Amino acid sequence: MAKNWVVQAFIIIVLSAVVALAVNAVRGDSIALVGNWPSKTAAGSGPVTPPSAQPGDPPFIKLDDAAAKFQSPEIGFIDARPPEDFALAHIVRAVNIPFDNLDDSWNKVIDSLDHNREYVVYCNGAECEASLFLGRLLSQKGFKNLSIFFGGWEEWQDNNLPTTKGDSTGEAKGK
Amino acid sequence: MKKLLSNDYLTLLCRLIFGGIFIYASLDKIGHPAQFARIVFNYHLVPGMFVNIFALILPLTEFIAGLFLIVGLLYRGSRNLLLTLSAVFVVAILVNVIRGVNLECGCFTVSSGAKKAGIMLILRDFLFFIPGVMLLFSSSYRWTVDRLFFLTSPNR
Repeated sequence: MAKNWVVQAFIIIVLSAVVALAVNAVRGDSIALVGNWPSKTAAGSGPVTPPSAQPGDPPFIKLDDAAAKFQSPEIGFIDARPPEDFALAHIVRAVNIPFDNLDDSWNKVIDSLDHNREYVVYCNGAECEASLFLGRLLSQKGFKNLSIFFGGWEEWQDNNLPTTKGDSTGEAKGK
Repeated sequence: MKKLLSNDYLTLLCRLIFGGIFIYASLDKIGHPAQFARIVFNYHLVPGMFVNIFALILPLTEFIAGLFLIVGLLYRGSRNLLLTLSAVFVVAILVNVIRGVNLECGCFTVSSGAKKAGIMLILRDFLFFIPGVMLLFSSSYRWTVDRLFFLTSPNR
């Protein structure tokens, strides 16, 4: 049998791939083999969605749609990042509801929001799932018109769209 | 030195430590593939379309190679594969430290409170390297499945 270590390593990798794909096929929280991760070369394609997205989640929107919604002042933005990141800079008009720090005081902020208003939820970008989890939570709390901008803060900032600074949890005035 | 490194008990201890580290490191990633895929993506070293498949296969490779190293099955392949993976991890972290990217390591856990990839993490990975490198210089194949099936040979 294989005495050459390269052949042995290859056997281990092939065995690992077979087991990994088989386990993924039968497990409840399986992920797609090809995820919709953003790529510099794939810019302009569909919205960024996390592999953990599930049917019934609020819809995911891409940068163009988020920017279009931003043009309508009646549509609010919710920033799911920690307060210190929000204070550094955030999308103009955004309200901060830090998913990782949610407590009673933040729940009061959620309750104070108009549940019938349309909101776009975002966090840092594709490395952050707080927007997805917050979107699910808000959906459970009765918010009807939600969408998740999973490209998030990084994509918004990279495209020089309007941002502002400050730690207000209310709606910022803008640049 | 070679004689010391080839001590049967020391070699077995190094196999248990080095293989055990990788088995332990794989468990949380195998349990949470979506979160690990997010961490892999965040390293920005794997093309988007391969992120998920990489996130599925890598932890299983760590687990199986770690297990094989401990039991001594395909021993040299598992040892060299794990050493290669260690080197790749160090380079991946180093590249992102140089880029100034503040990312989660994803080394042992996929939780958002995981250690950030940085210089301290690279030093820690170098420590983990030590038992693996010691195995590279050991000629002991005692207590390996390979030896039972005559898979051992003098060359590395």
